[in-house]
Amino acid sequence: MLEITGLRKQFPGGKVALDGVGFEVRPGELYGFVGANGAGKTTTMRIVMGVLLSDAGQVSWQGRPLDADTRKRIGYMPEERGLYQKMRVAEQIEYFGQLHGMSAAAARTATNDLLERLTLTERRNDAVEALSLGNQQRVQLAVALVHDPELLILDEPFSGLDPIAVEALSTVLQERARGGVPVLFSSHQLELVERLCDAVGIISAGRMVATGSVETLQAAAGRALKVVVRGAEPGWADGLPGELAVQGDRHVLVTSGGDDQEILRRAVKSGHVEHFGFERASLTEIFKEAVA
Amino acid sequence: MSAVWLVAKREIVTTVRTRSFIIGLIVTAVVVGVVAFLPKFFDGPDKYTIGLVNSQELPLKQALPEAEFTFKTFQDRAAATKAVLDGDLDAALVDGTTVLTDGQIETELGVLMQSVNREVKLGAAGVNVPPLAMESVGADTRYEDARRGIAFLLVIVLFGLVIQSVSMVAMGVVEEKGSRIVEILLASLRPWQLLVGKVVGLGVIGLINLAVVLVVGIGAAVASGFAENFPPGMAGIIAGTMIWFLLGYAFFATYSASLASLVSRQEEVGNVLGPMMLTVMVTYGVSIYATGDPSSTLSTVMSLIPPFSSMVMPVRMAAAEVPLWEVGVAMLIMMAAVAGIAAVGARVYERAVLRTGARLKFTEVLRSR
Ligand SMILES: Nc1ncnc2c1ncn2[C@@H]1O[C@H](COP(=O)(O)OP(=O)(O)O)[C@@H](O)[C@H]1O
Ligand SMILES: [Mg+2]
Repeated sequence: MLEITGLRKQFPGGKVALDGVGFEVRPGELYGFVGANGAGKTTTMRIVMGVLLSDAGQVSWQGRPLDADTRKRIGYMPEERGLYQKMRVAEQIEYFGQLHGMSAAAARTATNDLLERLTLTERRNDAVEALSLGNQQRVQLAVALVHDPELLILDEPFSGLDPIAVEALSTVLQERARGGVPVLFSSHQLELVERLCDAVGIISAGRMVATGSVETLQAAAGRALKVVVRGAEPGWADGLPGELAVQGDRHVLVTSGGDDQEILRRAVKSGHVEHFGFERASLTEIFKEAVA
Repeated sequence: MSAVWLVAKREIVTTVRTRSFIIGLIVTAVVVGVVAFLPKFFDGPDKYTIGLVNSQELPLKQALPEAEFTFKTFQDRAAATKAVLDGDLDAALVDGTTVLTDGQIETELGVLMQSVNREVKLGAAGVNVPPLAMESVGADTRYEDARRGIAFLLVIVLFGLVIQSVSMVAMGVVEEKGSRIVEILLASLRPWQLLVGKVVGLGVIGLINLAVVLVVGIGAAVASGFAENFPPGMAGIIAGTMIWFLLGYAFFATYSASLASLVSRQEEVGNVLGPMMLTVMVTYGVSIYATGDPSSTLSTVMSLIPPFSSMVMPVRMAAAEVPLWEVGVAMLIMMAAVAGIAAVGARVYERAVLRTGARLKFTEVLRSR
């Protein structure tokens, strides 16, 4: 389990980027780290990777503080991508595998497997700069995955990907998570995070404003009751909480308060009830609520 | 350690494979080869063709073994004169008494013929003249010219190599910083490992270049016969050159890596390296001066002060005899300087290399936490 507690970071400019950030990522969990631009996601991940020093707080892995040796077993994709442009694809992936402590032979085998999986085998001897941007992204992913990491930390891995690549990356991440690896990634794409993640953390201006499983957050956000009545008399919902929308003879009432049984009785009395049910709050709604 | 070696190996492999490296090596080899042959072209081989009319061959070869003499016999004075005027002969000896030349005779040949002729005639008359014994009461200056020549070439080679290697280190640092690869690298490496690996790797590249220069240079000198002029202890001079190159390189490379880590774009490299390159230039200037006057006080002092010593000392060692203790002391001071710059440079590099964006200030980075 990856545990982050009480991270604080103030940049030399005087700006407090993180103010007590903490959350946990469990084995096999896909953790979505969301927040507006400048909220502190990248800073948090850099501190976890030891690329940046925090002013206070701890990062621990399996109950022990994360040290340089343990970090070698993490797969990391920084927000600002970087590869040696003139180096060959396969050699580059192997190089990073070896830097992470693999033997030359093991790195080669792992590289060949990954190239196969990412359909890059034919480009293995090309310089990175000769590849399309999409393919460069795949090499970047391969660099993060080559050493079969115990933990994955990916900063905005989906940004700039086309829908097919998004699907492919989602599959890869889900596979890794199923293999027991905690996967922490940041993203702006809230629908994607909602669909993919077991847990999410919402950060706003350097503070965690919500953390937990998607269901828990939805429950905590309160469920909205949605009632659709056809052919109701105008004014049937007077005095009921929530908002009423009228589209022709369809009346849609959405509310998060009031006595649901009372609402149902009123609806049945006034017309033909087409729909009566509790709606889950979307992550976007939860996010807006939390950040507000 | 293995991490450092991995980084170094990558530098070596990727550099060796570039076209510019291969072309650079070939060009260096050709230039060095030509330069090493030059003395032969300019010195003009001492080859004389001498005509004989009714005369005996003079034993000129005995008196001047380095030179080659060819003798041609002519029927009469007219034929020999024609050959002299046509430029086929350097001189013609007529009746053992007169020397014909086209214009004034070349001094060396004139003196030689005069004295050998006298010896032969005296010998025939039964007078034996023992040759004068030559003895220098000053320093052994036999190899002075050769030494200065070698020292001069060494300065140029060392200067070129240091500039080239040091620029490669700087550009490599900025490549990694600017493209942010450094962020992935530093997630699995300590900054000093990355720094040392790069400096070591490109140092090996520099040594390969130096080795090519030395091998081609010495090979060409042997082939052209110039090697006969090599002073004794040439092996020591070569070993010294390599060691001093490595020391100078280590100093300037670490320094330039830390300077380069202050900027994020290749265009800024030249600017940020400016002051350091000036130091290299000054070192070069002093070294050139030292080739001319290797034993002056200025040369001696500069050969002890780092980083100037890294170029001035090997030049002095080539150009003159330097007491061993002076070399030892200079080396110790230089090593201390390398250690010092490495400590400071690594600290700056470590702190600056992740701070992309505007150019940073060396001292400010050094003071920051
Ligand atoms: N090197 C830095 N120096 C000064 N401020 C920084 C630096 N890096 C990030 N910041 C500031 O810290 C805050 C958090 O940034 P970041 O972690 O990059 O946010 P996110 O990744 O969520 O968009 C931002 O306000 C940003 O301007
Ligand atoms: Mg970010």
